[in-house]
Amino acid sequence: SSTIKWRMQTYAGPSLAAHVIDPAIEMFNKIAGDRMQIELFYADQLVPTGELFRAMQKGTIDAVQSDDDSMASPTEVTVFGGYFPFGSRYSLDVPVLFNQYGLNEIWDEEYSKVGVKHISAGSWDPCHFATKDPINSLADLKGKRVFTFPTAGRFLSQFGVVPVTLPWEDIEVAVQTGELDGIAWSGITEDYTVGWADVTNYFLTNNISGAWAGSFFANQGRWNELPEDLQTLFRVCCDQSHYYRQWWYWGGEANLRVNGDKMKLTTIPDEEWATVETAAVKFWDEIAAESPTKAKVVEIFKKYNADMQAAGRPYR
Amino acid sequence: MSYEMIAILMFSTMMLMLMTGQRVFGAIGFVGVLAAVLLWGTGGSDIGFSAAMKLMKWYPLLTLPMFIFMGYVLSESKIADDLYKMFHVWMGPVRGGLAIGTILLMVLVSAMNGLSVAGMAIGATIALPELLKRGYDKRMVTGVIQAGSSLGILVPPSVVLVLYAMIARQPVGQLWLAGVFPGLMMAAMFILYVVIRCRIQPELGPVLPEADRNITRAEKMRLLRAGLLPIVIFATMMIPFVNGWTSLVESSAIGAITAFVAAVLKGRMNRTVFENSVRSTLGISCMFMWIILAALGFGAVFDGLGAVKAIDSLFTDQLGLDPWMILILMQLSFIIMGTFLDDTAMLVIVAPLYVPLVQVLGFDLIWYGVLYTITTQIAYMTPPFGYNLFLMRAMAPKEITLKDIYRSIVPFVGVMFVALALVMIFPQIALWLPNYVYGK
Amino acid sequence: MPKLLRYYIHGVDWFNRKIGRFVMYGIFVMMAILLWSSFSKTFLTPSMWTLEMAQFAMVAYYVLGGPYSVQMGSNVRMDLFYGEWTLRQRAIVDAMTVFFLGFYLVILIHGAVGSSAYSLGHFGVEPYTFYKDLVMAYITGGKEAASEIIGYIERSPTAWRPVLWPIKLIMVFGFILMLLQAISELLKDIARIRGVDY
Ligand SMILES: NC(=[NH2+])NCCC[C@H](N)C(=O)O
Ligand code: NA
Ligand code: NA
Repeated sequence: SSTIKWRMQTYAGPSLAAHVIDPAIEMFNKIAGDRMQIELFYADQLVPTGELFRAMQKGTIDAVQSDDDSMASPTEVTVFGGYFPFGSRYSLDVPVLFNQYGLNEIWDEEYSKVGVKHISAGSWDPCHFATKDPINSLADLKGKRVFTFPTAGRFLSQFGVVPVTLPWEDIEVAVQTGELDGIAWSGITEDYTVGWADVTNYFLTNNISGAWAGSFFANQGRWNELPEDLQTLFRVCCDQSHYYRQWWYWGGEANLRVNGDKMKLTTIPDEEWATVETAAVKFWDEIAAESPTKAKVVEIFKKYNADMQAAGRPYR
Repeated sequence: MSYEMIAILMFSTMMLMLMTGQRVFGAIGFVGVLAAVLLWGTGGSDIGFSAAMKLMKWYPLLTLPMFIFMGYVLSESKIADDLYKMFHVWMGPVRGGLAIGTILLMVLVSAMNGLSVAGMAIGATIALPELLKRGYDKRMVTGVIQAGSSLGILVPPSVVLVLYAMIARQPVGQLWLAGVFPGLMMAAMFILYVVIRCRIQPELGPVLPEADRNITRAEKMRLLRAGLLPIVIFATMMIPFVNGWTSLVESSAIGAITAFVAAVLKGRMNRTVFENSVRSTLGISCMFMWIILAALGFGAVFDGLGAVKAIDSLFTDQLGLDPWMILILMQLSFIIMGTFLDDTAMLVIVAPLYVPLVQVLGFDLIWYGVLYTITTQIAYMTPPFGYNLFLMRAMAPKEITLKDIYRSIVPFVGVMFVALALVMIFPQIALWLPNYVYGK
Repeated sequence: MPKLLRYYIHGVDWFNRKIGRFVMYGIFVMMAILLWSSFSKTFLTPSMWTLEMAQFAMVAYYVLGGPYSVQMGSNVRMDLFYGEWTLRQRAIVDAMTVFFLGFYLVILIHGAVGSSAYSLGHFGVEPYTFYKDLVMAYITGGKEAASEIIGYIERSPTAWRPVLWPIKLIMVFGFILMLLQAISELLKDIARIRGVDY
């Protein structure tokens, strides 16, 4: 008789959430009806994003949508969540890696260790720079204070980028108040959707990752308490959300590059950008050296990319 | 429990707790964590603390101790004395002139700090005794100082607007610029009020006696130089900021240093001044931060328990009002809450409910920030709870009774209401400047 | 007033005053960090630690300075009624309502202890046992034994990745000091009610 109630917090602010999560949760609530209702809260609304993992683990929050990196999850796979430099080329790479190349199992194992249920991973947009001043060469990156993901930031700092992490909702204002020179956090769709296109002038078409990998998580105990059909329903709605993002970003990226009028496009020539790609290979090896689990994931990335290369068009 | 019930319970318990006179942060924090422990479910007891992590991430709060320090350096070191003398000499010959001069002084002080504390301290210690000695009406001048110093939060820089900016996610630069004309307009309205009152009742603001006016032209010109100080401080802070050379928090630090250096150069920085400024800065900063800490916790619990939804639906669905009515209701609720609640707590708790609503209704959030700031100014002066009232009570000479203090604010609050209405009806008063500068 | 309680009041007040008078200079630390930030941004490569470091400094400043600010009476109260009361009446009411403040602080401390234990790698729900074990291990087995207990160290999710336990321990410490100060205020109020010196 009594309705099960969950509190869920997403990494996204309301304007982005309208696409990346709201529809899925509305759907869930509509179908589950009196049996279960999920209340969705946005970026930093109940707890700051950096505390999300702990809050979920303790049950203060029942479920979370985020990447592993931003919520600082204490696992071996954290660095691969978010934008792992050059880890993917297209957004379809992410579900394939998880469902067909074994990342699901690794994630499941890692999160079980820390008492959190990893429900499913999905892909978001590619990672591009949106800046106030144009970037035409690697030298232009030097000294730029850029809002980006922790791991991407670590990688980019070798090119003189100064990575800054702030609450997501504060980014637009931080660009205006001079705290930031730019953003390396999203593709052009998000830039336009959340208002960053209004405060920056340039969009760099070279990207450091083809798709952000983010996941749905739940408190383990709370998840176990759910009857099986509600668990299934929840999974289905997560999948709906993954699907929505596939076409929303894919279409949006192309459309806004061609038809958007708020940002000018710039490009670093391929030969020069190759240095960044080479640096990524080195970065992967450094990460792999940190632990056996990380080595395993990097191994999978390498295998996957080799396969795609060998498959040829349209894969690579 | 229904959402409405939770909202009513949490709010009324908080009011009750405040009435007991326990420290504001304790009262608010207690209600927040109690509700969390009782109603949240698993993990509820962590919310109080996670507010501390949230507060840590609110980097613009760094401006708070900076501006507070700046204000104390300005008032404790008495570098504003010369400014006062300047106005005294230049305005003295006019009827009510010293009161007018005090208002102008307050405008300049407002341009150098982000709160009203400094204005209050300067006004109450330098201007007030002089005004009383010259036979000015005690109620009028007490009101002038409280109202004038409240301009500190409307004229940039403004800490209140920084806090609002954080909650509404609006650019501080534009908000500050939006405060300029409303602030000047309000100052002009205060002056107009003084002029009219003194025209009708000249005994309220007697002209400076002949003997006091015997000052050479050269001396008078020399005094004008005092006006340079605020301009320099304002400029070192605002120019790099508006040009994007320094960020907001960095600019606030530069402002604080400039004020400090100015006091040193003028030979006003001695041990006591230093000690008092540093210590009072800690005291006031802690007061603010602990209130924000408690209010953030209260707000998260209030939100997580669904009370926010109750208020949202009350405004939009249940009352079925048109946008302007809702806006006016919100302002009224701010003003009512402002009489007995600390404005920071009010902002942290209520603004997250109102701001999205204001946006949905199609109003400009920069403009709304100015409206909010004016209601805060009113809140500072309306009993029982108001910072300027407290400060005035603590600093006023014996002859000014509590009753005088309460009565003194009446006309000025009236003027503020008129200003509020004007900015509401003519948003351009606030929006013209930011639109012009940021080229909208 | 029993001697012991008098010692308590004086001891706590003294300690918190010392701490407060030390951290009050933190204002200059914050200023220095911010100035370095704008300087390095203009003339050198901007540093990636400045903003976070300034935030840590700010937290230490207000958390550790809190008890001293209570001593100074900086924390405002709504004094609609309070203002009208005599000192004794105030003491009576305060002596009761300080328990509400205390409750708030206890919950804050509880959260801070849990969070700081997490930052040292305790993922369970028994932070106090964790700390007990940690201390015991240190006493019996020294540093090495203690590091056995410590698990995955929490780092801030930024590129700078500072560890978070120092600031979280500062918070635990500061909140406890605040509670001690609240108790001291309670004892003073009781003394006032009974009209005795403390
Ligand atoms: N806090 C985060 N993990 N944010 C992820 C943003 C990733 C991606 N740009 C998106 O559109 O969603
Ligand atoms: Na100001
Ligand atoms: Na008030």
